[in-house]
Amino acid sequence: MTTRLVPVAAVLAGAAASVALVRGGYTVPAELVAPTLVLSLAVAWSFVGVGLVARRRRPDSRTGLLMVVFGFAWLARFVVAVDTTPAFVVGVLLGSVALSVFVQLLVTFPTGRTESAGQRVLVGIGWLLSVPLDAVFLAIGARRGRGDGPPPNGLVITPSGGEFRPDVVDLAVQAVVVVLLVSVLVSVWTRWRAAGAAARRALTPGLVGGTVVVATLLVERTAILLLLPPSAGVWLAWSAQVVLVVWPAALLLGLLRSRLDRSGIGRLVVELGGGPAVPERLRSVVARTLHDPSVELVHRRPGTDEFVDAAGERVEVGGRAVTFLEREGEPIAALLHDPALTAEPDLVEAVAAGAGLALENERLHAEVRHQLREVRASRARLVEAADGARRRVERDLHDGAQQRLVAVGLALRLARGRSSGEVDALLAEASDELTAALAELRELARGIYPPLLTDGGLGPALLSLAERAPLPVVLAAVPPERPPETVERTCYFVVSEALTNAAKHAAAAKVEVSVVPDGVGLRVEVVDDGVGGADADGSGLRGLADRVAALGGRLEVSSPSGRGTRVTASVPCG
Amino acid sequence: MTDRVLIVDDHASFRSLARRLLVADGFDVVGEAGDAADAFDAVRSLAPDVVLLDIRLPDLDGFGVAEVLAGDEAAPVVVLVSSRARDDYGPRVDSSPARGFIAKDDLSGDALRRVLGDRP
Repeated sequence: MTTRLVPVAAVLAGAAASVALVRGGYTVPAELVAPTLVLSLAVAWSFVGVGLVARRRRPDSRTGLLMVVFGFAWLARFVVAVDTTPAFVVGVLLGSVALSVFVQLLVTFPTGRTESAGQRVLVGIGWLLSVPLDAVFLAIGARRGRGDGPPPNGLVITPSGGEFRPDVVDLAVQAVVVVLLVSVLVSVWTRWRAAGAAARRALTPGLVGGTVVVATLLVERTAILLLLPPSAGVWLAWSAQVVLVVWPAALLLGLLRSRLDRSGIGRLVVELGGGPAVPERLRSVVARTLHDPSVELVHRRPGTDEFVDAAGERVEVGGRAVTFLEREGEPIAALLHDPALTAEPDLVEAVAAGAGLALENERLHAEVRHQLREVRASRARLVEAADGARRRVERDLHDGAQQRLVAVGLALRLARGRSSGEVDALLAEASDELTAALAELRELARGIYPPLLTDGGLGPALLSLAERAPLPVVLAAVPPERPPETVERTCYFVVSEALTNAAKHAAAAKVEVSVVPDGVGLRVEVVDDGVGGADADGSGLRGLADRVAALGGRLEVSSPSGRGTRVTASVPCG
Repeated sequence: MTDRVLIVDDHASFRSLARRLLVADGFDVVGEAGDAADAFDAVRSLAPDVVLLDIRLPDLDGFGVAEVLAGDEAAPVVVLVSSRARDDYGPRVDSSPARGFIAKDDLSGDALRRVLGDRP
């Protein structure tokens, strides 16, 4: 209801301003009446009209309200055109309000709210320098511009005719206004520089327009200092007003830019439908649609409060502005974005809806990738744990049973030194049995875990393996440097298992072993000249393939009947 | 001259059996040590001719002890012993300053003499 009355009030205020200018009692040059009125009404009505639109479309922002207030303040200045002292006082004060509102509008755009201490200080100074300061001047009797001639307060733009005789107070006031305007410009452009891409899109149109107005005013105010002729000052003053007419449109554009972005959502749906489903794509299309290149898209893992990115890696949510995308009241994903987009919840939601199917798709992918990651890690841990267990068993055998059997052997030897005849023969027999048992035990321990692998590395361990093998083994190549332990162990067990198979099943005459770096890790090759036909899914080779895969590598067995067996493993190093 | 032997091993049963075996075979066993630290003390105080040194010790391993001892003036001859086979240590035995290696179950006065025999 009140909103409907505002346009009416604006029209009435415009009419009153016109009457005040024409009939107020001051002398207005006839050729300036029409331009002054047209431009002033255009500025005022532009602000009021566009301000009302802004208020309806963006009720969360105070910018619309400030624009309406500015429009009315612009018209209220015309009270000064009535040639009476009360009208002069009221007119001067209301004219000051316009300047303060202008500063507040520019400093706080697009939210209309002060968000930092710097903004609050600037807006505060803007208000202190206008009404209170003017009130002080009026109180001490300043009556500048009253009397004959055009209306005071620069209401009608006329050249000062070379009679510029500023007093100290005048100069001080001008200097303060210039400093204030420069500070306003510095403040808004600092804010622009600090803003992300999305925030800049909203800021730019309003700031460019505002900067043009302020810059024009600055040049006008300092025209004398810049040695510009009075006619230039007049021209600049008119220009500033012309820019003021279009500035509201620029402000509105900034406020509504995100609405215009809605039209991009249709394109988003089309784009998502027509391309390959790679993880980065959904994010980049959403980033483009929201005009925020920093957007991150994370997915909630079902049944947890963890979020993972498209690659399945965990991401902490909370460091940045975040919008949760919900389904049936449960968050299923989150957009981490520029804080500027927090003011656009419906835009973000619309993008989310547009991305719907692709999002669901990517969420499932992210979950699968995350699980895969976990499975890989746990598989690697299992291998690690199994190796640890083997090592402990070997050590326990060595420290326990082996030591005791060795002691028994020495005791038998001592006993033999003091025995004779049948007893000695029995002791000799026992001693031989024991030696054989110890040899078997040693072989068993070595098969479980070769201590030389840890102490000496892959080269010596493979050499020892080759020497003890029951068939000729050529060790063609070993890496010059020691790879990580898990890689080393995996390579060793591949060779060990392949050699065992070659000796047991392949009836091979010789085997060639090589371990060479292949760029990402090590490539193990065991080639025999046996009968072939090895079963890659046999338990030994299957277990080896799993072990190699746990490190992200691959094991291949090529064993055509009658043409030997070739076991190849690629084991990446980390 | 009878060789004076120090036995270094963390298993007391092995030390005692080895001592009896070597004494029976004509060696003079002058002391025993259970770990590397004790071994260094014993070498310093007893000045043995031969150290029979187990490879697996609780603190420093036998290879490390042999390295340290080799740095001494009038260093004793070191003979490594282990219940593992020489093979299990690959090239480490050959590259150590120890005179030789005897598998524990092969230990006897003769075996030790064979290792020491090529002493200049």
